[in-house]
Amino acid sequence: MTIPRKTRLYIWFRLLLLQASWNFERLQGIGFFYSLLPGLRKLYSGEKLLAVSRKYVGYFNTHVYLAPMVAGAVLKLEEDRAAGVVDQTLDADDFKEMVAAPYAAIGDALFWGGLRPLAAGIALFFAVKGILWAPLIFVLTYNILPTWFRTVFFVRGYRQGIKSVEFIQKHRLPDWAIHTKEAAVVVLGGLSAFMVFSQLNQLHLPSWLGLLTLIPMVMLVLVARKGFSTLLLVFITVGSMFLLGIFWADMVYLMASWGIK
Amino acid sequence: MVLSLSIGALLSLICGLDRVAILQVMISRPIVAAPLVAMFLGEPLVGLQIGVMVELLWLARLPVGAAVPPDDTQVAIASSVLAIIMGKALNASGPELLLLCLLVAIPLGKVGQYFDHYARQYNVRLIKKVDSALDRGSLLGAEFQHLRGLSSFSLAAIGTYAIVLFGGLLIVPFLWPLLQQPLSYSSAWIQLALPLVGIAVILGTINVSRALTLFCASFCMAFLLMWLV
Repeated sequence: MTIPRKTRLYIWFRLLLLQASWNFERLQGIGFFYSLLPGLRKLYSGEKLLAVSRKYVGYFNTHVYLAPMVAGAVLKLEEDRAAGVVDQTLDADDFKEMVAAPYAAIGDALFWGGLRPLAAGIALFFAVKGILWAPLIFVLTYNILPTWFRTVFFVRGYRQGIKSVEFIQKHRLPDWAIHTKEAAVVVLGGLSAFMVFSQLNQLHLPSWLGLLTLIPMVMLVLVARKGFSTLLLVFITVGSMFLLGIFWADMVYLMASWGIK
Repeated sequence: MVLSLSIGALLSLICGLDRVAILQVMISRPIVAAPLVAMFLGEPLVGLQIGVMVELLWLARLPVGAAVPPDDTQVAIASSVLAIIMGKALNASGPELLLLCLLVAIPLGKVGQYFDHYARQYNVRLIKKVDSALDRGSLLGAEFQHLRGLSSFSLAAIGTYAIVLFGGLLIVPFLWPLLQQPLSYSSAWIQLALPLVGIAVILGTINVSRALTLFCASFCMAFLLMWLV
């Protein structure tokens, strides 16, 4: 018995709701069971179906874009088991537990740590220029890779079962994550320069002053590395600028009253 | 005003769900959510400016494992709605009002983290219900419990939106006459500083060897290119 294509498509759509009942105890566990259920229904019935369902309702946590690959592989393993082709070395449940954490680490580094700042940096170039398409640019730039992962990896997972791990290894995803992060740092450097340059031009100040921005930036980075909260950094920076602004305005006023230009 | 608040609430719900519970196509990011809500309220540039300032602030806080990052989605949406409503009520415009609304919304948005935390805590109750549904042999009941989780995330999103917005509606009219003039001296610099602080936090937490060197090199190269061209 194989799971029909239509059911697999249905499971794929259900995976978009994976985290609907996210909780601190089983994290994505209920969502994973919810996603797999249409497939399990095709393979089992009665008490057996309930027993298998109980197995999948437990703790589960991986990256949301890599969950389809785990789901695909688990469906394949369940399909084999239902057909009597049992792998003695690895159960579908063990496989799920085995790959969830490494996939989560890969996904977190690649998508949250790398791709998101990269896409945001690119979109902000347009947004700073006042181009209203910037949000669309962000959504399109960001979603190409996750959509590819969600679809292709799901299909691969279902086709290859346990061997889908080799697919991940072959694509060297941890290396992708590092390169994406490096690209994000470069884009953010360019974005900072662009914002500072535009600001100085708007205020008719000499452009070379912008290079001085690196001093407070480096200081802020070092402070952030010490674990200071963003909220605190925001209020310290905004507070200092606010006071400097008032001080500067007073200075200009005083100098004008003394006849100094 | 009621219509503006309702449009904001609807979009805060949709974007709030995208944040964790469904899809994750990133319409919940401030750079998308803020211009989107502002576009529906007829002033997309207000949202775009707020989106630029908020987008990078908490981008370094990753939703890894059980970690709950601050709710920048609701901060961006609520401060956009607040800025548009206050602009009409106080007959004011310009970056000063935007900044004031945002600076009021940022600390209020911290509440969102607690709401989000509570929603996830509340969803723990669903586990028992799912288990007992399975014991009864009701798979449909177990499926339904999963979808019930959406309601707690929806309430968390709307709750944060309401707190930020109504808090802002109470605070901003008081502060505006006091801070309008002083803010005008530094508003342009603060607008620049907010994304730069976000970038600094990203650089401080990103796991890339020599991130700071790479950043400085890229900054100088881009700056010199713009200077020369």
